Amino acid sequence: MLPLSVKDDEYKPAKFNFVHKLSGWFRSILADKTSRNLFFFLCLNLSFAFVELLYGIWSNSLGLISDSFHMFFDCTALLAGLAASVISRWRSNDSFSYGYVRAEVLAGFVNGLFLIFTAFFIFSEGVERALEPPDVHHERLLPVSIAGLLVNLVGIFVFQHGGHGHSHGGEGHGHSHSLFNGSAGHGGHSHGGHSHGGHGHSHESKHSHGHSHEHGHSHGHSYEEHCHVFLWTGVFLHIVADTLGSIGVIISAILMQKYNLMIADPICSMLIAILIGISVVPLLRQSIGILMQRTPPSLDHTLPECYQRVQQLQGVYNLQEPHFWTLCTDVYIGTLKLLVAPDADARWILSQTHNIFTQVGVRQLYVQIEVAAM
Amino acid sequence: MACEPNRVRLLCMLSLTFGFFVVEVVVSRITASLAMLSDSFHMLSDVIALVVALVAVRFSEKTQATNKNTFGWIRAEVMGALVNAVFLTALCFTIVLEAIERFTEPHVIESPHVVIGVGAAGLLVNLLGLCLFHGHAGGGHGHSHGGGHSHGNKKNKRAKLCKSDRPSGNGASGEETNNLVGSPNGAAPGRTTRTDISGKDCTDLQLNGRAPYEEMESGHGHSHEDSSASQLNMRGVFLHVLGDALGSVIVVVNALIFTFVWQPCEPGLPCVNPCTEGHCSDHQNHTLVNESLPASVSRAGPCWVLYLDPTLCVIMVCILLYTTYPLLKESALILLQTVPKQIDMHQLNERLRGLDGVLAVHELHIWQLAGSRIIATAHIKCHDPASYMDVAKRIKDFFHDEGIHATTIQPEFVIVNSESRASLCELSCRTQCAPKLCCGSADAGGGKKPSLSGPPACLEVISEAPESIQVVPRAEQEVIVTREVESSL
Repeated sequence: MLPLSVKDDEYKPAKFNFVHKLSGWFRSILADKTSRNLFFFLCLNLSFAFVELLYGIWSNSLGLISDSFHMFFDCTALLAGLAASVISRWRSNDSFSYGYVRAEVLAGFVNGLFLIFTAFFIFSEGVERALEPPDVHHERLLPVSIAGLLVNLVGIFVFQHGGHGHSHGGEGHGHSHSLFNGSAGHGGHSHGGHSHGGHGHSHESKHSHGHSHEHGHSHGHSYEEHCHVFLWTGVFLHIVADTLGSIGVIISAILMQKYNLMIADPICSMLIAILIGISVVPLLRQSIGILMQRTPPSLDHTLPECYQRVQQLQGVYNLQEPHFWTLCTDVYIGTLKLLVAPDADARWILSQTHNIFTQVGVRQLYVQIEVAAM
Repeated sequence: MACEPNRVRLLCMLSLTFGFFVVEVVVSRITASLAMLSDSFHMLSDVIALVVALVAVRFSEKTQATNKNTFGWIRAEVMGALVNAVFLTALCFTIVLEAIERFTEPHVIESPHVVIGVGAAGLLVNLLGLCLFHGHAGGGHGHSHGGGHSHGNKKNKRAKLCKSDRPSGNGASGEETNNLVGSPNGAAPGRTTRTDISGKDCTDLQLNGRAPYEEMESGHGHSHEDSSASQLNMRGVFLHVLGDALGSVIVVVNALIFTFVWQPCEPGLPCVNPCTEGHCSDHQNHTLVNESLPASVSRAGPCWVLYLDPTLCVIMVCILLYTTYPLLKESALILLQTVPKQIDMHQLNERLRGLDGVLAVHELHIWQLAGSRIIATAHIKCHDPASYMDVAKRIKDFFHDEGIHATTIQPEFVIVNSESRASLCELSCRTQCAPKLCCGSADAGGGKKPSLSGPPACLEVISEAPESIQVVPRAEQEVIVTREVESSL
């Protein structure tokens, strides 16, 4: 059977297809500078986690083993970011008529959820340890957390150049406080006091208040970059969060060593958990707004004005059922219905309406014209 | 309010679980058992899941369109389902981590009787929850009525009353009724009812004049699965309660086996515990593992008992993940603006183009708002404004037949009488924003998905060279606008 099209993918054996797909993804990741950096940082994190795991197995330290697992969990956040960046570049098809661009919003949202969950988990562990303070092995805490701090600093410097957000339209909506806080490099664990098999961990996790309003240049960027604002700012803040967490661990370890303040550990955990929870709220709010098809916040003030202008067009009786929503960052889609006079020039009205809304940034607009019966 | 049964159930379960959580915390303080405390935090996460579901239900009842949320809050339930699914996944990861730690360092259960007692009580609470959320109306199949009432589905269908509402003002669109939405593939065992035939799920909906929807069985046979938004939400809650119930089962089973099989060391007798190394517990007096002990030293009971707990946990995690994944996927797909499963875009496009008076279709988008509300938008090119209203009516009817009732059709009129250029989009964007449109634009890098051949008409974003035309100002202070015309390429 001769292939009827150039796309002869379906005639190729499946394995080749998969390899082809995989290499396609890699190319896509390596093509964009930011995702390339992220990919390398992910590799770095993964190798650090592996090293920790091996060291923990070798030295038979449960704390290090479980810490490395937490680092793996942390890497899933970065992985999710990468996956979302690849996915959102896919072209649209029959099932996804808008393409996959919403993946980044969803990834940001899921990241935020994981973060909240982690905060909750850390808080509960902190409470447990406050009620029953176990011993903390200081000597393992410090080196591991310092190593983690170094890894994260590398990430910050590498990522700082790559990750730029866009503050579009002059409004400060380009920031999202995502705090995916895994527990990268969060130091050793405490054993001891196994009266009931309770395991104590010092999950000192990182947090940050990075309110980074990153203003990049907003011209000459392809469409996909716009949509990644959400994602990249989130991941960057994640790395900053890890860094600050390492610093927090170091400080609390010092406190415990010098002043023997055992209570510092759980209190630190609880504080950090609360801070994480608070700072992830803006990200969640923003992504929930987008996912709930809310009117874009940056258009809140300009839309009524646009409605006015449209209604002043000659021949327009009424504007009904306006729906405007965000597909992904800075891409707005709208639909509305116009009731027009029978003798109105529909084409003119249509084009004027489009122009009115294009000026405020809504590029995809569907205007339904209904001619009033006379 | 029409949604009482669900809310009542949720509230009931919520109070039960919260009460049990408090009990567990108190017991853990009394017996100084850390395991109990950590289990109580699992209960707390259950409470949070219920709260999330409740919030979602409350929000989605506010179906009035507001200024900021022109679609109302209907999507809240899908979000609630997603949040629950994500929490469940994260919880599973945590459990896996703890299980691994137990593997490397098993520990004996202290005071197993208390654990049995509390575990059994928790199991009771969870079983009650399972019954509550398993839905009460059996797997009837749905049929449509005009007036509308609803009866429950097998799986947490809400029994909502349907109040039809005349749309205001807009003459063209009548009632919006909605079709069934296919439930995802991937059958989960038993619990989640995939092969459910939908009952009717009615919501009181006021969306800028849109009538509420009622589900009716489409003409395609009975095996439609229903996954309306409320069902998604309840499914999330159900899975969470199921996870908790499984956890309680494991706790009870483990404690039972422990009581009967494990021989602890008697206090006061020299004894060694070969299973745990390096840690002292209160009443076991043992040294590091040393095989060559005199026979007078007794050993603590069979070691495999200590590994039972983590093994069962891992099995439970597998079950949970398997049942949660479909829910996760489904709610994520809705939020990603996917075309609903039962709609074949390609075919729909073809049939739409085959309609009388329709010259071309572009930028056809169909997506699911929540549950069974499907929304479609398109640009339709037709001959002239005079015949437009007829064509519009036909198009609307066509969509109604497909089950899509919220449509916005933008007409485009052919300027010149050239039918051959019919496929160009007249009102496309100017050149510089062509790459910024969402579909069919430049695809960066090599990230090409080997996708099915999409209909070409859908993705036409033509960046024509705009021709500047002086627009006759008609009582409008518009700047001179450029008007895209069909370029005769």
